[in-house]
Amino acid sequence: MLRLGKEIIVFDGGMGSEIERLGLTGNPEELNVTHSEEIKAIHRAYACADIITTNTFGLNRLKYKGKYDLKTLALAAIENARAAGKKVFFDIGPTGGMLAPLGTLSFDEAYEAFAEIAKLTSHLVDGYIAETFSDLYEMKACVLALKENSDKPVFATMTFDSTARTLTGSTPEIVANTLEGLGVDALGVNCSLGPKELGEVVSRLLKSSGVPVIVQPNRGLPRLVGGKTVYDLTAEEYETAMREFVKTGVSVIGGCCGTTPEFIQRIAKFSGKKVKSRKVKRETIVNSATKLTVIDGVKICGERLNPTGKKALKEALIAGDFEYLVDEAVKQQEAGADLLDLNVGVPKIDEPAAMLQAVRTVQEYCDLPLQIDSSNREAIEKGVRYYNGIPLINSVNGENEVMDAVFPIAKKYGAVVLGLTMDGSGVPKTAKERLKIAKRIVARAEEYGIPRHKIMIDTLVLTASAEQALVKETIEALRLVKKLGVKTALGVSNVSFGLPNRPLLNKTFLTMAMTAGLNMPIMNPLDGEMTGAVKAFGVLSGEDENSANYIAAYESFSPAADGKESTVASLYDCVKKGVKTQAAALTRAELETKPPMEIVNEILIPALEEVGKSYDSGKLFLPQLVSAAEAAKTAFGVITEKLPKGGAEKGTVVLATVKGDVHDIGKNIVKVVLESYGYRVIDLGKDTPVQKVVEAYEKYQPLAVGLSCLMTTTVFSMEETIKALRAANCTSKIFVGGAVLSEEVANEIGADYYTKDALGFVKKLESLDKPPRA
Amino acid sequence: MRGLKIASMNYSKLKPQIYSYLGYHGVSASEETDALILDCLKELEKVQTFRYRYQAFEEIPAFLAKEPYLEFLKGTSGVVLSVMTLGTEVDRLLKLYARTNAARGVVLDACASAYLESRSDEYEKTIGNLSYRFCPGYGGSEVGDIRYIFELLHPEKIGMTLLENNYMLPSKSMAGVLGIGGQNTKNCGSCILLAHCNYRKEGTRCYGSEKK
Repeated sequence: MLRLGKEIIVFDGGMGSEIERLGLTGNPEELNVTHSEEIKAIHRAYACADIITTNTFGLNRLKYKGKYDLKTLALAAIENARAAGKKVFFDIGPTGGMLAPLGTLSFDEAYEAFAEIAKLTSHLVDGYIAETFSDLYEMKACVLALKENSDKPVFATMTFDSTARTLTGSTPEIVANTLEGLGVDALGVNCSLGPKELGEVVSRLLKSSGVPVIVQPNRGLPRLVGGKTVYDLTAEEYETAMREFVKTGVSVIGGCCGTTPEFIQRIAKFSGKKVKSRKVKRETIVNSATKLTVIDGVKICGERLNPTGKKALKEALIAGDFEYLVDEAVKQQEAGADLLDLNVGVPKIDEPAAMLQAVRTVQEYCDLPLQIDSSNREAIEKGVRYYNGIPLINSVNGENEVMDAVFPIAKKYGAVVLGLTMDGSGVPKTAKERLKIAKRIVARAEEYGIPRHKIMIDTLVLTASAEQALVKETIEALRLVKKLGVKTALGVSNVSFGLPNRPLLNKTFLTMAMTAGLNMPIMNPLDGEMTGAVKAFGVLSGEDENSANYIAAYESFSPAADGKESTVASLYDCVKKGVKTQAAALTRAELETKPPMEIVNEILIPALEEVGKSYDSGKLFLPQLVSAAEAAKTAFGVITEKLPKGGAEKGTVVLATVKGDVHDIGKNIVKVVLESYGYRVIDLGKDTPVQKVVEAYEKYQPLAVGLSCLMTTTVFSMEETIKALRAANCTSKIFVGGAVLSEEVANEIGADYYTKDALGFVKKLESLDKPPRA
Repeated sequence: MRGLKIASMNYSKLKPQIYSYLGYHGVSASEETDALILDCLKELEKVQTFRYRYQAFEEIPAFLAKEPYLEFLKGTSGVVLSVMTLGTEVDRLLKLYARTNAARGVVLDACASAYLESRSDEYEKTIGNLSYRFCPGYGGSEVGDIRYIFELLHPEKIGMTLLENNYMLPSKSMAGVLGIGGQNTKNCGSCILLAHCNYRKEGTRCYGSEKK
């Protein structure tokens, strides 16, 4: 391979614009076969470059739907590129689909599409360039597919917009940290904007990337003239701008849309020149696709996504209810956590599968970086592989077999690893012995090629009640370990176990540890005293410059303040006004004097009725209706705890937005309102396959099945769903709703009831006499 | 609150549309709802990444050579196809609130729709003298025609994707057809809901806020 990173390497320029200039039309990838001479001529015109890229941007099974097989086109494209007599990199563009959870394409489907290309071509090319990706997750699938199916170099470039973010919101620092972590040979930016507009993105990539940086801009910003794209930048201006990039330390240059052989000839003069050396700040960084946390100063790792000692979470995990994790994740984020620990270790559970599902679910709703916490190697790998970003792995210890199991995963995916200062003989008593283990961990990691900034050390907290003398050893160990140049972590609240007033001990210990250099307390962020101590420490240690964070947090602090929210006097008012936050406390107060069902029948239902009437008569808006329903639902949740299982529930309703339709806001409102009235709702989500609705009917035998759709095109799909339910002898009442429906349409497609809104649904359901099965 | 500017647009201008999406029944707004809307708009402003892409055609593209497009394009001198989106972060927030705070989710959804339309309208004014935006699916046209707009405009460059069922992602996205010149105005004549439209029953229009 050319002297990558040492000497400037020049790539070729625009392919699409050259194809257009030659007047060639049709699918660009098929031109490799149908017009191979013309394509070869374009490649030859770029022979001044060091590397020629194949004409294969849209060549993958998800994007290319033409008459040729992928292999024919790929091999022809490589042969065409070889005509220039230079090194050939296979060009890979995105699939064109959007990955779940935002879109419908799965990570594995994307991976398979890229892996297929790698398997077909690896023995024939000199490397790969994955370019013009706008979604970091898809890029991760691509890089893994290439690296796992080929031993050739992988270059990866993404597009950024004028706000210096990718289309899915990743910053240059996030892109650099993730792609370097995945082990690409060069990373950078292509397409997007012109060289002048890319200055900020490039300089930020250079500051944060430890691997060579590649820049392939467009020929300036295009203008539309008479429906055609026109570029104004001259080759001379392009050269000037690229010279600036070379001066700042860019290693690989080339061109994207609009650039021609003339442009590449101009920049080819930089080929072989020495790459300017640059300083890269090496920090301990974890990131999601849109949030990056640098572990310095003190960063809070939320500990609540861990079933140890949490009965409800344990039950949720066993039942496969991963959505339960979402509420806990969001609460911790709102309380100020910087990253979240995620542990799904429950006896007898399929931990790797559970970890995969947990990672998917949590990252769908919460953008904080995650700490994958497990002692199961396979679960760690699943979590890390499917995580959209660079996570922290919790943990290894001083035992070789543990390190040998986990370090390869950390190396492959670029994860940061937390090392515990213990080994087969337990936790050493003294700080010095713990330092010894920390050294061993750091050394072993380095053998695996994991640099020091990717290692954190936990010097382990023992309980003060049992091992009082050892508390100070943990603190002392922190001080010693810091000298290794690694960041530190502690599970702070272990210290108070078995003693009264635990929060006081936790907070005091946290402060002691921060003074000794603790970077990442793993703690409960919902404990305001603890997060307060972290903020105060920021001021007193000088980390929080001008006390900005502290002031922002406590600006409106007054000792007597009881929160911003208006208070309500009764549960009835609480529901009527939709004050969800007070619903639980007020319900508990009512439960002290009233039997549960009396609260439901005499407070909750009448309050909801009043809200419903006001809504119907146009005195209240949808938001208030939904707020009231949410407050009632919270109250109902508290009441249900007091009743035998299922005792308060009025019955089950299955809800689904039908196949082909993804407009589910109406269905979501129906769900909240039904739950507020005490119904159990099985929500099948949106774009629901017919069979899934039938299966849910058979499994739950609900009072009613509610189907929604918004588009005229999906009414047919609703009809099919109803037919299938009838064929399965469905005895539940079938309700339909949605913007394009009416009483008439509902009759036509065989539904039992049409309701125009959520309240209509509940009223109809309540009015139905005896349910078929309760 | 009056006169408060949300980006380049005035809150009071967006408000009628937002209330309309929230099922406004012609009564005056409550302070709480106003405050919630304003808060949602502020949040939306932070996370949205409005992107627009268009192309002008002197000759109308083949897929438009049928009704109701021909009627819509009568008297125009050409056509602009456009695609626009608020980006993926808005979707993430909507999903989050659907789960954690449904009331806010409902309001944010309405705000995002109104905001996207308003930003698009403003953008279109800068392109030239254009008609209103006719989106495939209006007036008996095929939603599937979006596919042709995607083929011509490559909206993936601004992060948009078209699913098999002709649904666009991110969810707050639009694809439209605009006539260059011409005097077209919106009407309900060929709307599929004409017979049982709740807006019309109340004497308003779904595009009522746009009427003088």
